[in-house]
Amino acid sequence: MSEPEIAPRKRFLAENPSALRFIGCLALFTLGVTVLSEGFGLAFLSTSMVKILGMTLCLCLIAVAMDVVWGYCGILSLGHFAFFGLGGYAIGMWLMYARTEGIVVQSLAAAPIPPTPTEIENAIATQIFGVVGSNELPFVWGFAHSLPLQLLLVLLVPGLLALIFGWLAFRSRVTGVYLSILTQAMTLALSLYLFQNDTGLRGNNGLSGLQNIPGLLHLSQSTLAIWFFWASALALGLGYLLFAWLVSGKFGSVIRAIRDNEARVRFLGYDVERYKLVIFTLTAVVSAIAGALYYPQAGIINPAEIAPIASIYLAVWVAIGGRGRLYGAVIGAAAVSLSSSWFTGGGAPSINLGFYTILWTDWWLVLLGLGFVAVTLFFPRGIGGLFDYLVRKP
Amino acid sequence: MCSPASLARLAVIVTILACTPALRPGVAIAQEGLQPLLQKYQAEIAKPSRTTVDRVLAALLRENRPGTSEFLRRWQDRGVYERPGDGFFFYAQEASGALHLIDIDSGVAVAEVTRREINQIRPNSGVRGVIAAALAPFELNAPEPARRQAALDAIARSGDADQIVPLADSIDHEPDAVLKRRKERLLVLLTAQFGTPQSARLTAISDLAGDISIEARSVLNQLTARQAGVAIALPEGANIARVLEVGEDISGTEAYDRLVGAGLAPPRQSATDRREVLAQHIVDGAVGGVPLHQLDTDAARTRAYEALEAAGTVPARAAENEVARTVAAHVFYETYVQPDPEVTAAAEDALATTTRTLGLYQTLDLVLDGLSLASIFFLAAIGLAITFGVMGVINMAHGEFIMMGAYTGYVVQIFIPDYTFSLIVALPLAFAVTFGAGVTMERLVIRHLYTRPLETLLATFGISIALQQLAKNVFGTQARPLTAPDWLSGALTLNDIVSISNIRVAIFVLSLIFLALLLFILKRTRLGLEMRAVTQNPGMAASMGINPNRINMLTFGLGSGIAGIAGVAIGLYAQVTSEMGANYIVQSFMTVVVGGVGNVWGTLAGASLIGFLQKGIEWFNPSNTLAAQTYMILFIIMFIQFRPKGIVALKGRAAGD
Repeated sequence: MSEPEIAPRKRFLAENPSALRFIGCLALFTLGVTVLSEGFGLAFLSTSMVKILGMTLCLCLIAVAMDVVWGYCGILSLGHFAFFGLGGYAIGMWLMYARTEGIVVQSLAAAPIPPTPTEIENAIATQIFGVVGSNELPFVWGFAHSLPLQLLLVLLVPGLLALIFGWLAFRSRVTGVYLSILTQAMTLALSLYLFQNDTGLRGNNGLSGLQNIPGLLHLSQSTLAIWFFWASALALGLGYLLFAWLVSGKFGSVIRAIRDNEARVRFLGYDVERYKLVIFTLTAVVSAIAGALYYPQAGIINPAEIAPIASIYLAVWVAIGGRGRLYGAVIGAAAVSLSSSWFTGGGAPSINLGFYTILWTDWWLVLLGLGFVAVTLFFPRGIGGLFDYLVRKP
Repeated sequence: MCSPASLARLAVIVTILACTPALRPGVAIAQEGLQPLLQKYQAEIAKPSRTTVDRVLAALLRENRPGTSEFLRRWQDRGVYERPGDGFFFYAQEASGALHLIDIDSGVAVAEVTRREINQIRPNSGVRGVIAAALAPFELNAPEPARRQAALDAIARSGDADQIVPLADSIDHEPDAVLKRRKERLLVLLTAQFGTPQSARLTAISDLAGDISIEARSVLNQLTARQAGVAIALPEGANIARVLEVGEDISGTEAYDRLVGAGLAPPRQSATDRREVLAQHIVDGAVGGVPLHQLDTDAARTRAYEALEAAGTVPARAAENEVARTVAAHVFYETYVQPDPEVTAAAEDALATTTRTLGLYQTLDLVLDGLSLASIFFLAAIGLAITFGVMGVINMAHGEFIMMGAYTGYVVQIFIPDYTFSLIVALPLAFAVTFGAGVTMERLVIRHLYTRPLETLLATFGISIALQQLAKNVFGTQARPLTAPDWLSGALTLNDIVSISNIRVAIFVLSLIFLALLLFILKRTRLGLEMRAVTQNPGMAASMGINPNRINMLTFGLGSGIAGIAGVAIGLYAQVTSEMGANYIVQSFMTVVVGGVGNVWGTLAGASLIGFLQKGIEWFNPSNTLAAQTYMILFIIMFIQFRPKGIVALKGRAAGD
């Protein structure tokens, strides 16, 4: 029984040495960061740095998902960051609810009569929603008390949204730039929806205090940071393997064929819409998982994170890293997001030209924007394309 | 004896003697003068307040001694002074830093004082309003139109029954046609409110039917104002508006709350109150025999409370069935504040007519709003209709071209202070600037990406963020003003409901001009013909002797240039910031896609649909434009599902694919 299951997996890793190499690099990187971290090692890396690295791994994961849906299947979705944000919101609701519950129960414990469940819930609602002038728990928070249910929502909400949206869009044969604009419209609608105060997710205040994990409050942030780093690395590793396996087999061939000539694949008898829908939904769910790991490290989520521009950036990362190769997406996401935080965080030294001083906080975006143009024009295969030269030379 | 020095001394003495009576006017003036009456209310006049002023005014108007209206007018205008020593009142005339005190009754200057020696009486604005209302009947026939206008304004603010007769009398003598109309209108309003023969009043009320001005509506609303009532049985003789059915018009809880408010039922006990009561009766770690740690459910708390009730330590609370019985035993109703049923009926009729007219005008206003929003969307999207719609190039930097146009307008205004002239310069200059930018971008970037449309999106996005940041670096992050000339700053006002600002009319006109111009260029010129040829089939066009490179460049430049002009127009009513373009880009793409790609009419249809739709949704929920935008986008997503090619879909070969 187990023979035919093991055989293709062996073949998969043997045929995809890049996946193996990537996992090796990721493991080494994780080990290195752990050794150097504040929580578990030599304290060369500050906790905030570990968090930034962990968040970068999450961004790499969503970039891999984006690469599969765009680089392999040819769907330029400008909505995957919305799924990322939804995952963050779903986990953030539990984090915020459970933490507020702890605080409320503690403060009510001083009263002479123990509080009823209704009283606790009202107090939590007032705590969380006082900022938007409400004191009732909206119905979307109905599962917020339970971690397993909310984790389920991390998968279900973005998954269902992607399924319905994708089904509608692919069914009516919306392709190419039209699909991009449509997904962008979806993202805009979602972020506008979340911006409203009365939709039950605290409007533009967003959810905050997510870095405090209920039940683990006794642990220091440096420990939590490295735990989340590990979780992010694990998620990235598993996600990478999943997608590498998916795109290596027959399924991968079909979706690449859809990218190259959709009509011909349809004429060959394949149900193109179904393949696209599977890819779109699966990558959406993986994006949501990445988001659910990202926002507890970031500590705060608000609707601005979901704005359409974030999804365009995501596409740009993938383009810079190199489409159609998974490690390219990882390189692109890591390179652009890390250098962005280095340049805009004041890490880069400003350049004095004598008559004018270039402050990178002002000029980084100009450089980045022109960089996109240059990469698109001159390196259509992105940074990942450089590896081709390395491989071919000897 | 008769030396000049002694003569001078004599003159001084005579002067003093002559002045003495005038310094004591209260003594010298006859009893029917105004001053004695004023002295009777000395304190209230010197320190007027809303609570006392009515009494003083009533007394003054009852006696109506000569000069009363003059006094009221000066009192209101802070022109009355009180002398601290004896409390007499004077008018005063300014003269080289000093004040000439003028006697109220004789109008003769009696003394010269400095400002320090005299108290100016300063009624507050509330008191001044009351005085103005009392003064109004006198002022209605004043020779200056401004004073008559002020009197009418005072009546409009606080009308009462006493003003009807003087107002009616003054209409015939009114020389000014505008003021005469205003007087007639006010008379109708006053008669509707206070008129005495009922028939006159009813006529006035029916005259108000369909009048949508705020004044008329507030009169009708006052006449039909209702108050809630509750009793065992309907009161006799009251002007009942309607009887409320519990469960239908009013919820049971609300009904009981009204009973409580009227003092007809004991208040219900809230959960918080019950907890307080229970907390006060903790005995040995238990309440009413229920241990404290069990009191974390409502059922246990009810048990504990009932135990306390049974022991008689706490008062009984209203049980649920008792609440229902009490509610059922009473009748809930609304009465009109106005006691006369015929008046209220007439007012309700008039109000219904008004509401209908109002609805009509509101719809008209909504249509105008939608039209203006649609023209803004159209203006923002029309450049894109060319670059994206005709050429198929996704230009994410289109919004930044709009921004460049707006900043061009701002820079021009710095150099040319005359707003009209600067606008005339800015429009072509914005076109030139963005045309140049568009052509440069086409030559350097887009030309190489015609076969890779999705990558055009990324490259132009890069240009977009670079341009945005450049604008931030050059102009700063705060919004820059682009001031409209005076002739654009007003509004066209039809009535209290329907009005539209001139800028929006101008934008509407501008978008019409663009539509015509673009249609002309595309359909009637050689350039347009070549554009259409190149976009349909570049290879075939090239073999016919058209240079596709040149045409693509010009087409892209044209689209970008129009975006620049749109930027000036949008900057006039919105703020000029580096992010203004980004606010329009998604909407603009949706406008083009919804309308149908490759067709200017389609863009017009798309912009109209989106504009009217957004205003329509906003109308349902006016406080929430975010929600309107959200639902509009959802609608568009659904719409594209059913018409993927947009409203105006190209057919046949022109459709490409």
